[in-house]
Amino acid sequence: MERKKFLKDSLAALGLATVLPLACSKSSGGSSSSGSSSGSSGSSSSSGSCTVTSTETAGPYPTITPSSYVRSNIVDGQTGVALTIKIYIKNINNSCAALSGALVDIWHCTAEGYYSEYTDTPGGSYATVDYTSSHFLRGRQTTDSDGLVTFTSIFPGWYSPRAPHIHAHIYNSGGTSLLITQIAFPTDICNTVYTTVSPYSNRGVQDTANTADMVFSDSLSNELSSVTGSVSAGYVLTHTIYVSA
Amino acid sequence: MQKRAIRLAYRKIIDVNAQKPWEKYVFEDSYREFLMQAQLYNPEKKYSSFGELIIHVPNAEKLHFLVSASVVGYLKQLNGKIPDIVNAIGKHFLPFRNYRFEIINSDIRSKEKHQVAINFLTEPLTWHDTIGSQLLVSLSNTDQQPQEEGETPTELFSIQPYLTIHSLKELT
Repeated sequence: MERKKFLKDSLAALGLATVLPLACSKSSGGSSSSGSSSGSSGSSSSSGSCTVTSTETAGPYPTITPSSYVRSNIVDGQTGVALTIKIYIKNINNSCAALSGALVDIWHCTAEGYYSEYTDTPGGSYATVDYTSSHFLRGRQTTDSDGLVTFTSIFPGWYSPRAPHIHAHIYNSGGTSLLITQIAFPTDICNTVYTTVSPYSNRGVQDTANTADMVFSDSLSNELSSVTGSVSAGYVLTHTIYVSA
Repeated sequence: MQKRAIRLAYRKIIDVNAQKPWEKYVFEDSYREFLMQAQLYNPEKKYSSFGELIIHVPNAEKLHFLVSASVVGYLKQLNGKIPDIVNAIGKHFLPFRNYRFEIINSDIRSKEKHQVAINFLTEPLTWHDTIGSQLLVSLSNTDQQPQEEGETPTELFSIQPYLTIHSLKELT
């Protein structure tokens, strides 16, 4: 329901531009004219108007900052059973050896089945600059010499009509896509989590089995992860993804 | 005049003409993230422009959100002050906490076409009066200290291109 609303509203939001061109004010004495081309990004965007040029001490000095996806802990305040996600990337073009330096993006839904993009700015509203939380349960890591990336997250919930899953996008070190895939969960562990722990238990078990899932049904053998642990101690998911790099 | 609480919105457009380091970083990093994320919706590189992706690929409008992660760190570096917009004495003064990132145009084969906007939404300001073309406002959180008890520190500024009054509330 909320997802549909988001999709509908986001279309309207694309048209929500806030441009208010004004004629040049005669009263702004001492001001200097700033750039003239529309969309220029000088001290102030201008289209035939004058604004006061800023006269301040230079700074704060910006520094190059990685995407906020780049972090190992992607929980960002979301509630759920602890899940450590260990993904090994191996290269079929190099005797299935570990692929180091690959970028791995993962994303998955909350315990109640929502993705961050549907709760961040529903209807195209404004997000809060509280740094990373608007992109919760999404992360990016670079594989080490063993081809391994590790994320700290929560056990995902599920939404209809899909089996529980984690999305993964693997890129080479230059950002070129190598593979887009999904990771499936063992059904017995899902059943335990979804029936014994709130808020998962509010919704109960998934409505779609791995074997009936539109994504996994024909490829489960290479997309099913291994999961160990317990509700109280948390779970560890281990999975190997083979790419052609 | 009747006192009103207003929020301003400033739409800052950043494109290939970016001059300042902060703008260049936003341009470069948002383009890099666009190239990475666009591959989700365009695995065979069938489409070149952002506009084509939006028209032809379901859910490609999620790219606004997906690419926004590349600029969150830069927004943090602004220390809560909207860039560019200055008061009558030439100082940045507008506080913000909320933003909306949008991709205006882009193209996987042409960096020059990459153009994004950051929409900054201010915290509420109290609008006391209008003097000529300038608005006299006060901020709820301000660095200014009143000289005497009972005084309200104020800011005077002009509405300027790409700055608008986003919302208004009558104060009693």
